[in-house]
Amino acid sequence: MKDRKTTHFGYQEVPVEEKAGRVADVFHSVAARYDVMNDLMSGGVHRLWKRFTIELSGARRGQTILDIAGGTGDLTARFSRIVGASGQVVLADINESMLRVGRDRLLDRGIAGNVVPVQADAQYLPFPDNTFDCITIAFGLRNVTDKDLALRSMLRVLKPGGRLLVLEFSKPQSKLLEKVYDQYSFRLLPFMGKLIANDADSYRYLAESIRMHPDQETLKGMMADAGFVDCEFHNMTGGIVALHRGIKP
Amino acid sequence: MSDPTFRAGFDAALETTINTALQYDPATRQRLSTLDGKAMALDLTAPKLQCCLCIEGDQVRVRQQWEGEVSTHLGGSALAFVRLIKDPDATPAGLGVSVSGSSALLAELQWILSGLDIDWEAPLAEVIGDIPAHSIGGVLRDAARWLGDNLNRAPVMAAEAISEEWQLTPPQAQFEAFVDDLAEVSLATERLEARVRLLQEQFSRREAE
Repeated sequence: MKDRKTTHFGYQEVPVEEKAGRVADVFHSVAARYDVMNDLMSGGVHRLWKRFTIELSGARRGQTILDIAGGTGDLTARFSRIVGASGQVVLADINESMLRVGRDRLLDRGIAGNVVPVQADAQYLPFPDNTFDCITIAFGLRNVTDKDLALRSMLRVLKPGGRLLVLEFSKPQSKLLEKVYDQYSFRLLPFMGKLIANDADSYRYLAESIRMHPDQETLKGMMADAGFVDCEFHNMTGGIVALHRGIKP
Repeated sequence: MSDPTFRAGFDAALETTINTALQYDPATRQRLSTLDGKAMALDLTAPKLQCCLCIEGDQVRVRQQWEGEVSTHLGGSALAFVRLIKDPDATPAGLGVSVSGSSALLAELQWILSGLDIDWEAPLAEVIGDIPAHSIGGVLRDAARWLGDNLNRAPVMAAEAISEEWQLTPPQAQFEAFVDDLAEVSLATERLEARVRLLQEQFSRREAE
């Protein structure tokens, strides 16, 4: 009998075709309280990480931006103001619940007209080649089943000279910080998930998926392998989060 | 390189402060919106900091990096920059601020901010009501005026105390007279030196004959 291909779902090994469904379940579960939990878990620092991402995007008026795994629309809202009426921001997420929360939240804040919500899988982006000036994926790549496939798909839809920015949890640069961070992730985080969202398992998955995600140098290499040039990364908050940037040649 | 999180935090705090203040001066905010899309790069020397102020609608965005078009580049100390922006009659050269690019944006910004009149009572009134906010606002305004007056007089008073009361330095008039005397002695010495040189040359010529 032929072996079934597996991939990781947190610390578990699951068949490749099951991962997307399991990840979807996690995000269906946390969608409603995703923002509250983000603020609580990061102490609000995720806003600063996203702020730096916006700065490095070099987004300007009239540009077309793709915000993959845009979730509740934090980055989309900021890009929408920058690109203005002559530009466009596509808010993409594979998860229907997250996309609905994001779209509703943007509409509630009066952000419309230049924002298009699209339910899309990062591995098979449903856009023509050379469409976007910039692509961002914030805290989403680690949940993608085949990261290499997703990076190549992003490269395809980027315009030549366009930028990909990957904001993702990464490997802390200090041993001490790593220990503190481990305690926080595996003890406090599921507890907070249980308390706030009544869902400890989803938040345990988030912590585990962060540990399974490639570290800074590995992800940089993956981006280069996919075809991006001038790949670089910036560690933030001691490497707990890293922002990778690559350019489509 | 320092952690970008700290710098992002600083920029976010500065931006929030500026925009929160503008929120309570709708007239300035409206005037500011005429500059929508313009950007001004600042190269501060004290403290050492580079940033870009971008006008987005009726709000100001503080950015560490901006790859769009920048209308004006300013270089100088933060204090000089604040004085330049606050005082419509101040000139960049007078404050040691270097300007490159278009100075029109700076002039427009100076004009807009000269009319800045933030209603500080409004946010307080939202929390504690109009009458207590007005009473507290009055006290704070008096205190600010008193502080402002004293701060303006402080350098003069400190100079007087140092020279007249503690006699650590000579009074200004005495010092200026001393400087004048010194300049006169210096000129006289130079004249004497020139005269001696002339005499030496005459003496050498006679000896040679």
